[in-house]
Amino acid sequence: MADAVIVVALLLVAGCATAAVATRDPMRQALVLSLLGVVLAVLFTVLQAPDAGLSQLAVGSALTPLLLMLTVRKVKRRAQGKERER
Amino acid sequence: MNGWTLAAALGLAGGLGTALWGVTTGPLRRRVVAQNLSTALACPSLLLLSQAYNRPSYVDLGLVLALLGPVGTLVFARLLAEELAEDPPRAWGATLTVAGLGAAAVIALCVATGPGRAMAKLLVIGALLISGNIIASRALSGGFRGVRGG
Repeated sequence: MADAVIVVALLLVAGCATAAVATRDPMRQALVLSLLGVVLAVLFTVLQAPDAGLSQLAVGSALTPLLLMLTVRKVKRRAQGKERER
Repeated sequence: MNGWTLAAALGLAGGLGTALWGVTTGPLRRRVVAQNLSTALACPSLLLLSQAYNRPSYVDLGLVLALLGPVGTLVFARLLAEELAEDPPRAWGATLTVAGLGAAAVIALCVATGPGRAMAKLLVIGALLISGNIIASRALSGGFRGVRGG
């Protein structure tokens, strides 16, 4: 029965990671990445590594999407500013 | 066979599978709702797993997720505000269903642990999870318009 949970978590990680690679728009990719962070934390917990899961939760569910979204926003603003200068 | 493990596996497969489907397809408003509900679905599964492995310290993972999940959703609500303002997401049915599932899992775990500090911790996690989820849903649907801009 414990193996079933591991299989479920592994399948979810594989699906999430594939979806994150296949998504083109960076903003939507950030949403998938945040889900991937949560799913990876679940996988670490299932594999009896809750300490790794804790740090993965902290980094993956809030910090990585925040960094990505801020970067996309800054790049977009810079592009808009350049267009105005022309 | 452990009933707690089975419940956690079903919650993970059904809940996070649906969240994965929702977050990869459809318009942006459905994606943010699915991202919000994914944390609310993963947290009860983590609590059930801690009961399944008989390790009370694993409850901390659920606590961290209940705290940080809504924070992540608020990041999206803040930075996607312009895109979401034209087409605000409304998913109160799904939000309340997931909140009810979380409450059911927490109550079942409380009955299993019995009164004491562990039960108080579980109740705190449940309250954090449901309130955070509802606040994040409200922020996504544009409930806090006063904090926009900048």
